[in-house]
Amino acid sequence: MIKRILIGTCMLLIVPVIALSAVDSIKIESHGTSRNKAGVGPVIFPHKLHKKSFKCAACHPKIFKAKLGGNSITMRQNMNKKFCGSPGCHNSPKAFPLFHCNKCHMKGK
Amino acid sequence: MKSFVRYTKTTLLFLLVLTVCIAVSGAFSDVESAQKRKKSSKIDPTNPCSVIYLDTKGNLAGVGDPNKPASLSYKKGRGWHPQALSANGLPKDRYGLIDWARLVRENLIKPRHALKAGVDEMPPLQMDVLIVAKGDFVDDVIYPHEMHTYWLKCEVCHPGIFIPAAGQNNMTMIGIVEGKWCGRCHNKVAFPLTDCSRCHVSPKKTSKK
Repeated sequence: MIKRILIGTCMLLIVPVIALSAVDSIKIESHGTSRNKAGVGPVIFPHKLHKKSFKCAACHPKIFKAKLGGNSITMRQNMNKKFCGSPGCHNSPKAFPLFHCNKCHMKGK
Repeated sequence: MKSFVRYTKTTLLFLLVLTVCIAVSGAFSDVESAQKRKKSSKIDPTNPCSVIYLDTKGNLAGVGDPNKPASLSYKKGRGWHPQALSANGLPKDRYGLIDWARLVRENLIKPRHALKAGVDEMPPLQMDVLIVAKGDFVDDVIYPHEMHTYWLKCEVCHPGIFIPAAGQNNMTMIGIVEGKWCGRCHNKVAFPLTDCSRCHVSPKKTSKK
């Protein structure tokens, strides 16, 4: 009985971690009206690609809350060294810069 | 109850061992990567990857440090070309690129406005234009005519690139990145689009976070 409870709790702890790390890409569709005015599509974030180069703790929970829709990301904040534009990320020479709109804002998707 | 105590004890012990293992391996890998970094700063001429640092005879083109210039004179102990490349003293922006606008503002260079003597110079146009950014979450642009007319004539941009009327140029960042409007010069001969906040400077009045 106790063994079962222990296994159960272990599974409860491990399963969400595995499930989250298995996310392929995340579609970010917030701020639709503003995006339409600017003429850019929703962002498709390749989680799998970032996972290859970084450990989870590099981004979560310091830069991004590990929750879908839990981060209200705006371009202003990206420009001000937050979220995607954090130091060492897309506002630095280490990654492609923020002005390549279409690399993240996929049109017609 | 006894078995429960035993289970918890074993799991705790297991977790302790696991954390110690992870910590030790992490420390070792840090040391290894630091050593690798140290090694990589020296160029090995026999390594096929370092061919770009070699001259036509296969010798090291510079002093063996990729951060130093690869010139013969530098190798012989002379510095950079003193007149042409006093670039070290030129002001740089936060991306390490030469800040030509600051050069003009601080009168560090004074180029002649014309090749022929006696040609009247047109003074720069003192006129800032507010360009409203399309998105709600991006600061507006204040375009300074002054800096642009310091070296350029009106006809360079008007009406070919920009219709000379406020709000008539339906500019988008995507278009600019593709080389339209500001992108005709910026990202090419003028400073790149990398630093968004160099142009997007004016916060919107009804600014959202």
